[in-house]
Amino acid sequence: MSENARLKFFCDDDRCIACDGCSVACAEAHELPAGINRRKVVTMNEGIAGLEYSLSIACMHCTDAPCEQVCPVDCFYIREDGIVLHDKDACIGCAYCLYACPFGAPQFPQDGAFGIKGAMDKCTMCAGGPEETNSHEEREKYGQNRMAEGKVPVCASMCSTKALLVGDSQEISKVYRERVLSVGRGVKTQPYGWGVAYGSKI
Amino acid sequence: MKSKQIILAIITLSTLAFGANADSAIWGKDLITSILGYDQKESLHLGYYFTLLQSTYFKPLFLGIILGVPAVFFLHYLVIGPMIFSHDRKKIYIFTLFNRIVHAIAAIAFILIIPTGLVMMFGSTFGGGEFVRTCKEIHAISTLLFIISVVPMFFMWLKSMFLHWDDIKWLMIVGGYLNKNKNPVPAGKFNAGQKTWYWLATLGGFVMIGTGAAMFFQDFRLDILVEYGISQIDFLRGSAIVHNVLGAAVVILFLVHIYMSVFAIKGAIHSMVTGYKEEEEVEVLHSSFYRKLKKENKI
Repeated sequence: MSENARLKFFCDDDRCIACDGCSVACAEAHELPAGINRRKVVTMNEGIAGLEYSLSIACMHCTDAPCEQVCPVDCFYIREDGIVLHDKDACIGCAYCLYACPFGAPQFPQDGAFGIKGAMDKCTMCAGGPEETNSHEEREKYGQNRMAEGKVPVCASMCSTKALLVGDSQEISKVYRERVLSVGRGVKTQPYGWGVAYGSKI
Repeated sequence: MKSKQIILAIITLSTLAFGANADSAIWGKDLITSILGYDQKESLHLGYYFTLLQSTYFKPLFLGIILGVPAVFFLHYLVIGPMIFSHDRKKIYIFTLFNRIVHAIAAIAFILIIPTGLVMMFGSTFGGGEFVRTCKEIHAISTLLFIISVVPMFFMWLKSMFLHWDDIKWLMIVGGYLNKNKNPVPAGKFNAGQKTWYWLATLGGFVMIGTGAAMFFQDFRLDILVEYGISQIDFLRGSAIVHNVLGAAVVILFLVHIYMSVFAIKGAIHSMVTGYKEEEEVEVLHSSFYRKLKKENKI
């Protein structure tokens, strides 16, 4: 990871097989309550032959994060490496971040009386929150802080086809470029990819 | 038969795997179209406009209102001063007990809703957290008080609130508030200012209730939206924009209403407590109404 690393998610739609493993892993790792889906797999052009593809989406950790811009209590903060995090203690559950988000990433537990919305929950890129790193409070509110332990976010680390990539954007684009260039050219710099596994020409 | 059951089982299991909110109006199947359509040419661009307005314009707008409007009134109070009417003449019975009770409930609702709404708008100044969250809940719950008062209020004053020639004349002289002369001001039972406030509070109030409820309940489906092809998330974005813009208008007229009843017309607030207005006040500020009462020998 370089000094000015800008961490990003990228989902390679040539590889994603919509197994939902990432979202299940995320929900399990962070012990998310039912109805909270930090990550989910969506299928585009469903049912249209040749155009159908799947993608795993969650918070995209935008550089110009619109959620951060609209939050009335300014509970968002963007880390130097680009991870967009928020403070659940400050959050009032107004859902403005959800209105601003293009990806529908913010989630709201409806656990209060009369359907009052609780504090927002979203993907943290497994980097916890403002609480003390790896403290009990942090784990309760934001789930695991794998980043602090030097681990890859759980969704990407268990992706069976390595479709979901996470890390320094420069590195990711390098990996993806290699994948694109190697397709159909007999240069196998990638391990066991989609083409080999399923025998189709991509 | 067996294959049918297997297929059914697969379909049921796959919906489970898709997440618990597969039937959600926001995170369900509409999510994909919402993502793909965000700020695209054929979209309503509401995500973009909401982000722009909320991040840049709403806060200064509300700050301008809550500082500017009282400042203007303060100047008015210093330069022109309040209207003082004789309390020695007869009193005219204007507001029935029913009127006053309905008005009192609405007043409590407004006193709860407006400051809590402003606290949310300036949430970062209050540091967020428990205090602002509580204000948010009060903002939502006190809407019930507003609902039970705004419906009878709409009907009980409806027939006095339609536009009249007097209202145009009233607007031309700004209700006679720019000088201290006690010239008769053209107005019926309610003047143009009160009528504006009535229509904003009732019709605007219904819109505020609707948009507020939409944001409160968030994940639901309205057939009418589906019919017009408006996605739930766009409806929420639109609701937030409308709620804030209309809210600004409500705050302005609420401040005007308070200033008029408490400061600008000395003792005017008592009419909403006792039901009686001073005869001179009616004669000057509601001259058409006064003439009508005279003609009908009611005073």
